Amino acid sequence: MGLRLTDIIIIFSVLGSLVVCDTQSNNQDRTLVLLDNFNTKETHSSFLKILQGIGLSLDFKTADDPSLALSKYGEFLYEHLVILSPSVEEFGGNINVAAITEFIDSGRNVLVAGSSDIGEPIRDLAAECGLEMDEEKTAVIDHINYDKRDEGYHTMVVAKSKASLIDAPVVVGVGVNDPLLYRGIGLTVDADNPLVMEILTGSPSSFSYFPDERVKNAPQAIGKNTVLIASMQARNNARVVFCGSLDFFSDEFLHSNVQVAYPKERTYENSGNERLAISLAGWTFKKNGVLRYGNIRHHKVGETKEAQFYTVGDELEFTVDIEELVNGKWVPPIRSDIQLEFVRIDPFVRVTMNRSSNPITFKAHFKVPDVYGVYQFKIDYLRLGYTHMFSATQVSVRPLEHTQYERFILSAYPYYASAFSMMFGVFIFSFVFLHYRPNDKDKRD
Amino acid sequence: MSSQASLSEILSTLYTEYNLKTPNKLKIVDCYLFYILLTGIFQFGYCCLVGTFPFNAFLSGFISTVASFTLGVCLRVQVNPLNRPIFKGISPERAFGDFLFANVLLHLIVINFIG
Repeated sequence: MGLRLTDIIIIFSVLGSLVVCDTQSNNQDRTLVLLDNFNTKETHSSFLKILQGIGLSLDFKTADDPSLALSKYGEFLYEHLVILSPSVEEFGGNINVAAITEFIDSGRNVLVAGSSDIGEPIRDLAAECGLEMDEEKTAVIDHINYDKRDEGYHTMVVAKSKASLIDAPVVVGVGVNDPLLYRGIGLTVDADNPLVMEILTGSPSSFSYFPDERVKNAPQAIGKNTVLIASMQARNNARVVFCGSLDFFSDEFLHSNVQVAYPKERTYENSGNERLAISLAGWTFKKNGVLRYGNIRHHKVGETKEAQFYTVGDELEFTVDIEELVNGKWVPPIRSDIQLEFVRIDPFVRVTMNRSSNPITFKAHFKVPDVYGVYQFKIDYLRLGYTHMFSATQVSVRPLEHTQYERFILSAYPYYASAFSMMFGVFIFSFVFLHYRPNDKDKRD
Repeated sequence: MSSQASLSEILSTLYTEYNLKTPNKLKIVDCYLFYILLTGIFQFGYCCLVGTFPFNAFLSGFISTVASFTLGVCLRVQVNPLNRPIFKGISPERAFGDFLFANVLLHLIVINFIG
C-alpha cells in the first residue's frame, strides 16, 4: 500500500514538472502583436504565418486596447513585441514608449513597422533606439527605381537587393536576389552609433520628402543615407528592427511581382520581400545569430586539472564550448574566427581558437608571457549580426620560484671562476702577508 | 720630444723610487691588487664579448673583483708606515683582521648572488 502511495506521488510530481516545462516553453516565445485594426491581420496574414512558423505564439491586440500591458507584477508577459500599428497616436493600457524601452532594456526584442502615416510614439521609440524617422506624411521617393504600378508619386520604391542590402547573411539570409518592394517613411541613422545597423538602404536616387509637394528645403535623407530597414542590437543583445514600411510585410508585397522601368523594362516574377521577411523575423526574434558559450577549462599542457595560478613560461591549453543558434537550434558555430586573448590590461597573447574533435569545443594553445601579474582569459567576439559574446576568466601568473631558475649556466663559468679565484687570492695573499718577515734593509727604510 | 723624454724620465724615476722606497709588504699588497685588476678586466672583456646573459653572475663576479680591490687598497693604506700618524689607533694586525672579516662577508654575498 505504502509503495503504491509513493508511486502516486512520483507520478504526480512528474506530471507537475511536465506542466511547468510546458508553460515555460510557451512563455518562451510569447509575442504581443499590436495592430492599428484587425484588418491588418488579413492584409498581413502571410507575414504573421511566417512569425508563427519560426515558433512564436502570437497575441493580437489593437494598439489602443485599454487592457494592454507588457508586464504584470514586475514580470514581463511577453518575450517579443511586434508593432504593426504605425499610425497610433497613443498606446492603450500601460504601454508607452518608456514601457517599451524598459522591455528592450530587459533584453527582449521588438519589430516595428512604420508608414507615411506615422504617429509620435513610434517616432519617439525610434529616437530612443538611435534612429530618426522622417516627419509624418513624408515618404521615400525614387524617380528612377520605382515599380510600374506606382500611382504617380514614385513612392512604391524598388530596392535592388544586391546594392542596397547589408552583407550579413546571418541577418538577411543568403537567397535574397530579387528586388524588394517598399512604400513608406524614410529613416536616418547616426553613422557613429556602433549599435545601429543599416539593413536596407535606398538607392542613390532616393530621397525622403512630402510626395505631393515641391522640394523646397533639403530633404532629411538623400540617396544612400535614406535607410529603409534599420536595426539596433543593444549591449544586452536585445534586438530592435525598424522597417519604415508596413506594406513591406503585406501579403500584397510579399507575393507580388516587381516591374522595373529603369534601366530597361523588366518584370521579376517574385519580390524578395518574403525571403527577407523570413530571415529578418528569424534574426529579430533570436532564432539566428545568437552565440552562447560554456564549460570553460584551462590547464597546463599535459595536465587535466585547472590550476589556481600559473608560472611564467607555462604552456597553457584553453578550451571552451561555443554554440550558435541556427533556425532555433543550437549547432556548432559556422564561423571559426573566434579568438582568445590573454589580457593583463593589454592583451599579451591573441590566438585564434581551433576546433577540436568535438565540433562545439574550441581549443587554444599558447605560452604564458614572461610577465607576471593577474591575467584574464578573454573572449570578446563581436561580429555583424551576431550577439556579442564576451567572457573573462581571471587567473594569476606568478614569477619563477628562486629554486626554479637555471643553475650553472655554461656561459657564466668565467664569472664563477673569477669569484672563486678572488677567494683563493685572499687565502694565498693572507699566507704570504702574514708570513713575510721584512729583512734588515726594509727595516731601515 | 722633450715632453716625451721627460715623461719617460718621470716613469723611470717613479719606478726606481717605488723599488727603493716601498716596503716589500706593500709590494705584496700591490701584487695582489694587480692580480685583481687583471681578473676584473678579463671579466669585463668577456662580458663585452658574450653579452650580459647571466646578468647576476656577471654582476657578482665583477663586483667581487671591484670590492676585493677596494678592500685591498684600504688594507694597503692602513698598513703603510707613512700613514701611521693618521691611523693611530689601528695596528697593522687589526687592519688585516678587518680586511679578512670584510672579505668573508663579501664572498658570502657573492656566492649567494652568483648562482
